Amino acid sequence: MKVQHDQENTDKWEVQLRKGCLELAILAALWDEQLYGLEILRRLESDSDLVISEGTVYPLLSRLKLLGFLKSEWVESDAGHPRKYYSLTPAGKQRAQEMALIFKRFSLSMGRLLGALTKGK
Amino acid sequence: MAIGAQQKLETYLGMLRARLRGLGNEEVNDIIEELRSHIIDKSTENGELAAGKVDAALAALGNPEELASEYLTDAALARAEVSRSPLQILAGLFRWASLSVAGFGVLVSSLVGYFVGLALVLCALLKPFHPQSAGLWTFRDRSGELHLSLRLGFGSAPVGGHDVLGWWIVPVGLVMGSRLVALTTLFAGWCVRLYRKSRAPKQA
Repeated sequence: MKVQHDQENTDKWEVQLRKGCLELAILAALWDEQLYGLEILRRLESDSDLVISEGTVYPLLSRLKLLGFLKSEWVESDAGHPRKYYSLTPAGKQRAQEMALIFKRFSLSMGRLLGALTKGK
Repeated sequence: MAIGAQQKLETYLGMLRARLRGLGNEEVNDIIEELRSHIIDKSTENGELAAGKVDAALAALGNPEELASEYLTDAALARAEVSRSPLQILAGLFRWASLSVAGFGVLVSSLVGYFVGLALVLCALLKPFHPQSAGLWTFRDRSGELHLSLRLGFGSAPVGGHDVLGWWIVPVGLVMGSRLVALTTLFAGWCVRLYRKSRAPKQA
């Protein structure tokens, strides 16, 4: 029972950890190209370890746009329907860089601290 | 088969649209068309919508009520975060208050802040028109208990009361009142930002 409870706590912690990275992951996916929602989702799935619910990404895209970090435009596609493409605004680029620096510094220092725990794993 | 799939798609989007009321028309259309495009992309097989795939795509998006709530909350918070307008801040707070006790607490204290701030400003503005009765009064009721009362001067002055500030209510009311409104806006904006940081999006 206790073991199961601990496992649940570890899972919860992992979910929180992933959640915290989602905004940065989206900004990073859009760093040098414009993508539509489904492409962003696929990029996050293939290039990062983030397992994300689709119902989360679209409202978040909408919010990042309202905050002025993303802009969007509708582009006609070969599939016969238009797709909404997102790209970074200058404010979004700046935000992405700031977040990336903070993340890098944090993960380096955590890496140093955790080195001994994961040696040989 | 394709008709059933199309119907499911439209029913879902219709339910979502109905729950997105409160956002601007253009914004709602944008959201609906983006999700329609997403679902079609995920469910098209040999140029036709496949019913099974539509089901899976809709399930992955979650139920329309929760999805709409994500959109509404995110939008209200984003607006409150970039806004200095008390009305938009309050709209964001009402949304938040419906989600948590903390949000409710911030909403109530912001409402009190705005109310007292506005009352002070109003009192200052009305003092020249009601010089005998507008102002900050202290008076004792029949049981001898001391009361403090801010009066706009539409009624009569309290019997045996003392006008604490006299004409000073004009500068004091204007300065303190507008400061209180500004401080409340800053406080609410700060709480919203703090909350938004803690409210990370849901994970699959």
